[in-house]
Amino acid sequence: MRPKALVLGCAALATAVVLSGCGSDTASGGKTKLTIGLFGNFGYAELLKEYASTHPDVEITDRTASYSDHHKNLAAHLATSSGAADIEAVDTGYINQFKATPDKFVDFNTKGGGELKDRWLAWKWEASLSKDGKQIGYGTDIGGLAICYRRDLLQNAGLPADRDQVAALWPTWQDFMAAGKTFQAKAPEGVKWFDGGPTVLNAIVGQASTGYYDKTDKIVVGDNKEIKAGWDLVVDGVQSGLSSKLLYSTPVWNTGFKQGQFATVTCPAWQMAKIKDQAGPEAAGKWDVTSVPGGGGNWGGSYLTVPKAGKNVDKAVELAAWLTAPEQQAKVFKSAGLLPSIPKLYDDPSIVDYKNPYFNDAPIGKLFTDAAKKLNPQYQGPKAGDIQTAIGNAMQRVEQGKQNGEDSWRQFVGDVQK
Amino acid sequence: MVLIDKTARRHRWDTRFAPYGYVAPYFLIFGVFGLFPLLYTVWVSLQDRNLLESDAASLVWFDNYAKLMADPYFWNAMGNTLSLWLLTTVPQILFALFIAQLLNRKVRTRTLFRMGVILPNITSVAAVTIIFAQLFGRDFGLINWVLDLFGAGNIDWQAGTATSHIAIAVMVVWRWTGYHALIFLASMQAIPSTLYEAATLDGANGRQQFWRITVPLLRPQIIFSTIIATTGNMRLLAEPLLFNPGAAAATGGSDRQFQTAALYLYEQGFTNYDFGYSSAIAVVLAIATVIVAGLGYLVTKRIRTE
Amino acid sequence: MTAVLERPAPVRPAGPSTRARRLARRVAGPWTYAALIAILAGSAFPVYWSFVVSSQTPDAIDSVPPVLVPGGHLFENIARVFDTTDFALALMNSIVVAGTVTVSVVLFSTLAGFAFAKLKFRGRNVLLLLIIGTQAIPTELGIIPLYMMMSEFGWAGEIHAVIVPGLVTAFGVFFMRQYFERAIPDELLEAGRMDGCHSLRLFWHVALPAARPAAAVLGLFTFMQAWNDFFWPLVVLVPENPTVQTALSTLASGYTTDYTLVLTAATIGTVPVLAVFLLFGRQIVGGIMSGAVKG
Repeated sequence: MRPKALVLGCAALATAVVLSGCGSDTASGGKTKLTIGLFGNFGYAELLKEYASTHPDVEITDRTASYSDHHKNLAAHLATSSGAADIEAVDTGYINQFKATPDKFVDFNTKGGGELKDRWLAWKWEASLSKDGKQIGYGTDIGGLAICYRRDLLQNAGLPADRDQVAALWPTWQDFMAAGKTFQAKAPEGVKWFDGGPTVLNAIVGQASTGYYDKTDKIVVGDNKEIKAGWDLVVDGVQSGLSSKLLYSTPVWNTGFKQGQFATVTCPAWQMAKIKDQAGPEAAGKWDVTSVPGGGGNWGGSYLTVPKAGKNVDKAVELAAWLTAPEQQAKVFKSAGLLPSIPKLYDDPSIVDYKNPYFNDAPIGKLFTDAAKKLNPQYQGPKAGDIQTAIGNAMQRVEQGKQNGEDSWRQFVGDVQK
Repeated sequence: MVLIDKTARRHRWDTRFAPYGYVAPYFLIFGVFGLFPLLYTVWVSLQDRNLLESDAASLVWFDNYAKLMADPYFWNAMGNTLSLWLLTTVPQILFALFIAQLLNRKVRTRTLFRMGVILPNITSVAAVTIIFAQLFGRDFGLINWVLDLFGAGNIDWQAGTATSHIAIAVMVVWRWTGYHALIFLASMQAIPSTLYEAATLDGANGRQQFWRITVPLLRPQIIFSTIIATTGNMRLLAEPLLFNPGAAAATGGSDRQFQTAALYLYEQGFTNYDFGYSSAIAVVLAIATVIVAGLGYLVTKRIRTE
Repeated sequence: MTAVLERPAPVRPAGPSTRARRLARRVAGPWTYAALIAILAGSAFPVYWSFVVSSQTPDAIDSVPPVLVPGGHLFENIARVFDTTDFALALMNSIVVAGTVTVSVVLFSTLAGFAFAKLKFRGRNVLLLLIIGTQAIPTELGIIPLYMMMSEFGWAGEIHAVIVPGLVTAFGVFFMRQYFERAIPDELLEAGRMDGCHSLRLFWHVALPAARPAAAVLGLFTFMQAWNDFFWPLVVLVPENPTVQTALSTLASGYTTDYTLVLTAATIGTVPVLAVFLLFGRQIVGGIMSGAVKG
């Protein structure tokens, strides 16, 4: 006989009653509570503290989920008008899906967005503009491309480590793979040329003139020769043993950075924040950044949106505008490497001359502002994010030896056109 | 007189209606949040209904089922479900019998051992899967490291169909074997020793006694455990979902090699928000579970005393 | 499907006394002990290893050869979990959910179980059959309508959505009914009735005290099950208002770069059930052996 358990249970119930009694939307002291839903590293930790100190009436909580969970959940929360945060980040791969239902979001044009419009790159502004002219998102960063590489690993394999010489190794992706074969011949066991096929492929896709969709939102990837050529090239690289076969943004990929399992990784600007987090302080100075094969291209970049169902819409709009303002984007570039979507910063000396100490003092300011200026944005269709996941799965099938390149491609095209 | 009458009336009221008051809370809550959703699933499965599409749901009768029957990914998921059912249920029962047999001997510190075998059962499936996913890591997993000592390391557990099924089965078997072992143990303790003594006189050895006396006498418990295990193992979701973190977690591997039917239900229902289709999967899965449990019943029913 | 519930009673032999049987049981030899110790080690290892990683620096998790002894960084890692994630909220939510569900299930199951076992009323058998029949149906079957309902109520993302459907279980009612059938003699209740006791008073003064051992076992199982529940909370809750299990799922989904943190969180999340287990392990073992089946 154990009445203790019951006593325990009653205590728990009492706690439950007390606790549920104090849930409310405004924090104590009449503060407005704002939540902000993110994925990955936006570099906002310091900024949110700064904002809270200048706005004592606001209390901000941020939450981070994985890329895919974040967007899936947001879709459901909008559909049911419940559960969304006051500010929700949306990635380029999903912005078209969300701008198809502009009524779920606050139209920034009605909240003074028109005056701010000229802050942003014209294409960035347009990408989140709905067909009927509503602006659902303020642009945060763009995903200008580069390659991050391990100086020490390249050097040990007899390749140059200097970033200009490294860039000269790979004017094209074919050259990149050829350099990889040279590297692999001398690489120590367990170290590969690149992290995984999907990461490389996403960069190549991001450089193509047409992506997964044409401008009428029709899925055309099945007939896209540019992407198929990139696919074949990466498949060849994988089959030549150049890949660590780690899928980006998974725990094993994170470990790969720490363990130094690969020499290069495709580096959209936001990737630098991840590398720094994952490789840790002990790898400082080992990584460096140089230009991407093929030149130009974009992968990722985000927007901040304010769902209409929120309770503090005006305060949220104010915060979103502040976070995406030039001064803040400049700070985020320096702290986390996220490339601003603000063209006037591309000529700002404090940006252009910025060198990142973690990446062996790489002149990332120059490198990425150049990339941003060259960037010719590709049209993203409604489900570009889902298709990107599917093509990642497809490349993994090849890496895992489950299918050859042709079969896996066919299955991928069939899947996304269903 | 009045007083007695009043008491009698109260008594009558009490015996007649009070019992309904006692069972009412259960039936009220269960009716709204249990029974109603169950029945409503069938109705939703006859509709074209997507959470993300604002236009109202439309009745399409059996379209979802027709689509399901022609969907190779559904059959793939059902195949994986059956494979995992077999790989989890059979070892679970056999190991449980073996462990119960050990525990049934006269052991010192028996409470310690009994608690030990049940320990996996109280841990949470999320925590355990995260831990096992790490242990089954391709490059730095402990299991591959051990296998490597025997010259068989570097298995990419998530990549292969067989390897991923084995890894998931290990998690499930680890979690549930002890539970079934205790159920068997309770019954073993009630088997009269005279039966074994007689068998010993007839010259039957320990193994023969186990298969000819213990197992047949445990038949009701084995049937029971098989059915319980079947209903659990036909709806594995957390293990395949958390075994493969990343953007494509819900597909259960790059080629859906370990996507179970429950995971496919989750993918359709809560990543695509296709509620109609997902409900159809739920209904078919429930029917399949009943059939497989029936199958398990028929097989275990055949256990007989020699 | 009634077989699922009607847990068959152990064979009841009309043979020699328990004592005699026990004496006749085979005494465990060294091989039995070796096997049992190996099983014990296998049972405990994953939990132990998770604890080891939680007490080490982040390098330990993927070091070769693996680290197998605890280090001195446990509290540091725990502090990191609470600093960098909202795990405190997850723990609090799980305590509220599991606590409320436990009390409610025990209370309502005892009440209904008492009525089913000891009171006569029209439709009793039909209702009981309904309880038995529905217990075998997997909850996943109703998950989509349930989600639709919760959105309709505006409960999606709130812990009520997890608590309310868990307030009663068919198993609980059935379990308590079985117990009352055996534990309380009808004569006792009859005597109470003769004295003019209202049935609620009978419940309170006779049934409830007698039900305590069974209610405690039911409470233990319900608590652990509610604590470990995964699918429904995953579907209906949002990452910023999680239970321990959904918080773990979010943490493990790949955006966290520090896996030591994830395993430390897994360890922390296991501690409450582990504590219950160490305190009441004997009752849990006894409960399973006497038929306290979880569905």
